[in-house]
Amino acid sequence: MTAMMSITDLYVKFGTPFGSLEAVRGVSLDIPAGSSVGVVGESGSGKTVMCRAAMGLLSGSNVERSGTVTFDGKALTSMSREQVRDEFGTGMAMIFQDPMTALNPVRRIGTQISESLRVRLGMDKKAATARSVELLSFVRIPDPAAMLKKFPYQLSGGMRQRVMIAIAISCNPKLLFADEPTTALDVTVQAQILQLLSDLRRDLKMSMVLITHDLGVVANHTDYVAVMYAGEVVEQAPTSELFANMKMPYTQALLDSIPNIEMKSGARLKVIEGRLPNPVDRPKGCGFVTRCTYAQQKCHDDHPPLVDAGNGHLYRCWYPLGHTIARKQ
Amino acid sequence: MAGSGTAHLRNNDEVVLDVRDLVVEFRVGGGRVVNAVSKISFDVCRGETLAVVGESGCGKTTLGKAVLQLPPPNSGDVIFEGTNLSKLPKEQLRSARTAMQMVFQDPISSLDPRMTVRNLVEEPLWIWGRGNDEERAAKVRELLNNVGLDPELVLDRRSYEFSGGQCQRISIARSLALEPRMLICDEPVSALDVSIQAQILNLLQDMKDRYGLTMIFISHDLAVVKAVSNRIMVMYLGKICEVGEPDKIYTKPAHHYTSALINSVPIPDPTRKRTTVPLQGEPPSPVAPPSGCRFRTRCPAASEKCAAEEPQLREVAPGQFVACHHPRT
Amino acid sequence: MRKRKYTIPTYFAFGWLGLAVFLAIFGSFLPVDGYQVIHGDFIDSPPFTAGHWFGVDSNGYDIFSGIINGARLSIFIAVVTVGLGGAIGSLLGITAAYYRGKYDSVVNMSFNVVLSVPNLVLALALVAVLATNVDINEAVPTWRRLVTLIISLTVVIIPILGRIARAATLAWSGREFVVAARSMGMRDRDIIKRHIVPNVLPALIAVGFLAVGVVIIAEASLSLLGVGIPDGASWGGMLARGRNDLEYNPHALYIPIIALAFTVISTNHVGDVLRGRLDRREGRL
Repeated sequence: MTAMMSITDLYVKFGTPFGSLEAVRGVSLDIPAGSSVGVVGESGSGKTVMCRAAMGLLSGSNVERSGTVTFDGKALTSMSREQVRDEFGTGMAMIFQDPMTALNPVRRIGTQISESLRVRLGMDKKAATARSVELLSFVRIPDPAAMLKKFPYQLSGGMRQRVMIAIAISCNPKLLFADEPTTALDVTVQAQILQLLSDLRRDLKMSMVLITHDLGVVANHTDYVAVMYAGEVVEQAPTSELFANMKMPYTQALLDSIPNIEMKSGARLKVIEGRLPNPVDRPKGCGFVTRCTYAQQKCHDDHPPLVDAGNGHLYRCWYPLGHTIARKQ
Repeated sequence: MAGSGTAHLRNNDEVVLDVRDLVVEFRVGGGRVVNAVSKISFDVCRGETLAVVGESGCGKTTLGKAVLQLPPPNSGDVIFEGTNLSKLPKEQLRSARTAMQMVFQDPISSLDPRMTVRNLVEEPLWIWGRGNDEERAAKVRELLNNVGLDPELVLDRRSYEFSGGQCQRISIARSLALEPRMLICDEPVSALDVSIQAQILNLLQDMKDRYGLTMIFISHDLAVVKAVSNRIMVMYLGKICEVGEPDKIYTKPAHHYTSALINSVPIPDPTRKRTTVPLQGEPPSPVAPPSGCRFRTRCPAASEKCAAEEPQLREVAPGQFVACHHPRT
Repeated sequence: MRKRKYTIPTYFAFGWLGLAVFLAIFGSFLPVDGYQVIHGDFIDSPPFTAGHWFGVDSNGYDIFSGIINGARLSIFIAVVTVGLGGAIGSLLGITAAYYRGKYDSVVNMSFNVVLSVPNLVLALALVAVLATNVDINEAVPTWRRLVTLIISLTVVIIPILGRIARAATLAWSGREFVVAARSMGMRDRDIIKRHIVPNVLPALIAVGFLAVGVVIIAEASLSLLGVGIPDGASWGGMLARGRNDLEYNPHALYIPIIALAFTVISTNHVGDVLRGRLDRREGRL
């Protein structure tokens, strides 16, 4: 199966007055065509930076990026800015967490949708308007024709997110990046939007990268998951394999610390003690070492590499779950 | 849905907070009025944690602030430990408030960025002239230790130097300075990272046990609420839908909205696919809520009666009250 | 992030202002003759003449002493005006934004009405009204003209700083720590004193410096027109005095103009730098 996007050995470093901040350290990830890949991590894990870097959206004089990213066979990392920009809309598209800031508040919805149609696909005004109405109905907005004339402030969060999705799919992209698309939304609206994204993906045969911190979202809407911590991928596997067979203690701890609607009420939550390591001054061993319940000396000294457990399951731990040491706990 | 249902009130000696017919309305431009809270009654017993659950716009935050009279509601009575707060003159209200404190959603914005942690936590004591300088300093240290912060490391720093989780701890320490008897937590963990949420929730539980607090916990996250509460009140568009114990409500929700809410929460287990269709549509505007039952526009079981007559809360199972003409069985 | 890179313009601005303030305080002790002294022998001397560093204008007045005296006056007027106008304006603005309601509407509208009149026109009108003497044959005494000038410029500054105070208070009052303070039982006036004012002050200070620039220019313009301080006591007055010198003795005009320009640019720049420094501290998360 050919990968729609292939990220190999991506490093992203920011120069700060405190030193070099390694936001992403050697991430390799393949996004197969037509599949949905989840990237899970907390804030500070580097997941957003990784995706922005992969899309070529990071700019600034203090940003250093290395590694290769290929999209649809083309090497994005060796293209110029203009060429990468051409891929946007038609090849790749992105939707963001806060639709209010992603939409232009002083322009009408209709204008914002048809703008990308006219610029990228060269449609004339009438065709663009017709297509806009069509797109809005794809994203299940009631009365799409009336919606064209509205401004973003008149819409609710869920509606704005749908509009953003409509803009993103307007040029039939092959790959959609969704950066925490539902974090700011209510839970019922979240369910609607996630359902919409799944259906669109199936109908338009799109691949999707879903960035989130919610393991529940990932469990139901992705085929493959990569868990990031402190700038690296610490575990990646097909979704069902990951949940059935967790190897990295961080992943398990993350799952345990999330309040689960199925647990008994009044139960005490298991906590991950401590905080993320300082990104400028990372410990030389495993990044999770100060917070792991059974860290050993080796974890302090040596940085664990990614190990293949078979079944497409990779993990980064000296003593994964299931190991004798872990079982003693 | 209930407006003035009172079937769920307990009217016994253990009731610490008794709220009757609370109405809060905001004027927005053009002579229109937002019905944030429409004639709600509820009570909280000593040592209980009442969770107020609902999505954005349901009025739960307004409810919390109205209990503290910040600002005072348009009408209705708030009786705390026998005293009717709504009828107190300004000066007495000021001192009555010391028994009820609030923890806010945004940990950074709830702390004055120009003040040091020492001043922030000491401020309530200073306002009420409790103890001399030494006693206050000792109390501040004790509070910071209780919330898991090392006084030496935090006393002289300012809020912007800390993470969200730490700010929330400072905020909790501050709210406990006056040894209140009731704590109202308005979405205290919503702005925090997933793995930090568990720490703060456990902390709140510990503080409740240590200080013998009664709590009102406002949240939109059903899973979080289940972990901390003894009693749940579900709100929609300013009205109560359902009241009862968490285990019962979550396994057998009687109200269609409660059921939709529960089904929308993603479960972190890929083997459990949700078969129910997510709730469609958007919440109606609180400026012109639907007649009768406010949920009828999205309810799968709506009938003519729902439009004509507002349902009142009634008991459908021991300890479970619902405001619906056609509750789920 | 503690790196502070001060650029050359910043050093210059601080330096110039420091010099101006120094002259304002200690100028009268410097060993130069007063600005009213006429040096008949040196009329029309160009700059760098011995004993007259900046030259002498066509009337015989020493320009250097004029600059020193002008510094005293301009700084004095600016500080008093901005201080007074700022205090009154912030009082109105902060209380209006904190308490809201009708009081706020009245204050806001008053600010907007006064602001709609161009600074100079307003100042002129006020001076004209306040400075008229009952007996039109008698000249208005200088101290009275000074007071009139200060009052007029204060009125101009009140809404400028008042609006800043009001906007900042609106923003800060909405933050949750104000609600938190109320829930602790803090009195409103204590909340304003301990929470609102310290957070609004940076914005006020930054704009205050800009306002100083506004006042200096306004005062100079009024003096140039002849309704400010008479007899060349201020830089604007020097421009008025030297009006005829443009053709043969231009340094009599250029030098006060340069002094004015440097001072206003410096205050603007210092205000900007301060605003940048104070903003950065708060915005970090």
